[in-house]
Amino acid sequence: MKKFVGACLIAAALPAWAHHSFASEFDVSKPVKLQGTVTQMEWINPHSWIHIDVKNADGTVTSWMIEGGSPNSLLRRGFTKHSLEPGTQIVVEGYQAKDGANRANGRDLTFPDGKKLFIGTDASEQTPSAKPDK
Amino acid sequence: MAHRLHITLSALAFLGAGASLAPAQSLALAAKPATTSSTAATSVRTADGRPDLEGYWTNTTVTPLERPKELADKAFFTPEEAAEWAKRQLATPEPTGPGTYADVHYNMAQFGLERSQSKVAANIRTSLITDPPDGHVPPMTPEARQRNADRAAKNKGHEFDGPENRGLAERCIMWGNEGPPMMPVGYNSNLQIVQGPGYVAITQEMIHDVRMIPTDGSPHLPADVRQWMGDSRGHWEGDTLVVDTTNFTDKTAFRGSSANLHVVERFRRVDADTVLYQFTVDDPSTWAHSWSAEIPMTKIKGPIFEYACHEGNYGMRNNLSGARADEKKQQGGK
Repeated sequence: MKKFVGACLIAAALPAWAHHSFASEFDVSKPVKLQGTVTQMEWINPHSWIHIDVKNADGTVTSWMIEGGSPNSLLRRGFTKHSLEPGTQIVVEGYQAKDGANRANGRDLTFPDGKKLFIGTDASEQTPSAKPDK
Repeated sequence: MAHRLHITLSALAFLGAGASLAPAQSLALAAKPATTSSTAATSVRTADGRPDLEGYWTNTTVTPLERPKELADKAFFTPEEAAEWAKRQLATPEPTGPGTYADVHYNMAQFGLERSQSKVAANIRTSLITDPPDGHVPPMTPEARQRNADRAAKNKGHEFDGPENRGLAERCIMWGNEGPPMMPVGYNSNLQIVQGPGYVAITQEMIHDVRMIPTDGSPHLPADVRQWMGDSRGHWEGDTLVVDTTNFTDKTAFRGSSANLHVVERFRRVDADTVLYQFTVDDPSTWAHSWSAEIPMTKIKGPIFEYACHEGNYGMRNNLSGARADEKKQQGGK
């Protein structure tokens, strides 16, 4: 079954921008579009995780975890962990986890009015003082 | 001698979607490698008179390691061509399309991860590789090809058996950029250099390891002591910090190298905003001859942030559970 095959080389490379294989984690045949209320933003590396509660048609609520990018970059571009407070409504488009859990990658994140979360930066320097686009 | 051009690289400000325009910046372009250490004397010095390499730097680049085919006979761009090249590279959209595997990833622009959202050190070279002159990594020796093929064959079919089978980056042990040699990485490609009596320390944001480099003349560790990032020893040659690294393991193959890898790095402060970083790698077990590259590093505002990679590495668990789900599906005859 499980077989240890020795050193896994860094040279066995992921693309330079990918920390791990997203295609192994998420299912390309399961696109999702979710609108929900932020309950928590986990400000952690290598990926930020946003927790949302999604209200179903029957009135029940399903909690989802949404995978996003490194908080280091967000912070450098003026987005802090207080920029997405619990209670905020967001819309997530992405793909569901292969194992069927209520996790998805945050392919595109928007506010209900269509405005993008996070996008846009001062490319000249990384001064964490700019306001997020919201 | 080092020939440097200073241009107003406003062209770099034509950035990808979502990025605002950068103010025009004067960036140093390292056009030719330094051949002597004394010609680039800088007035920026530490209290003990050494050239001051301290501060926060980025090695983000739009220059490929190897020269693109279409530029085979062209080692240098003109400044105008370089600006156009940078503009094209930074504007290249993500390779994605709904329903494709490339799409199963978040929008890099949204999370501030595109190179267009970083400061980029300008470079008129068409490849980071400076030697051999064709701008390409020398061919691998038959021994190295066999070694790497054997490794790949061993892991084939077992890629998702357990965490031990996953790559070092996914396991948050090391990233391929860390080196030495230190290479640009897709995002957070930042580092900090600190100089002290007898030591130079380098922290790379990705993924947080600190290189402590003695400059006190002490010898390398005994040959039987092997380290993930090798054993680095530095000394000054005029105004250039030269760092010699040996004692690698075979776990961190740099482009397929072996534990015999030998890296020599050179750091030179060529102006207030630029450290020119050059390296030569040699490994007779891997390449027919040594090869060299150079990467200008440009100054950024600090600080760099902790990248506690393993703290939230849910991706590892999720990849393995995804693989188990795939196996079940296959066992079910689907």
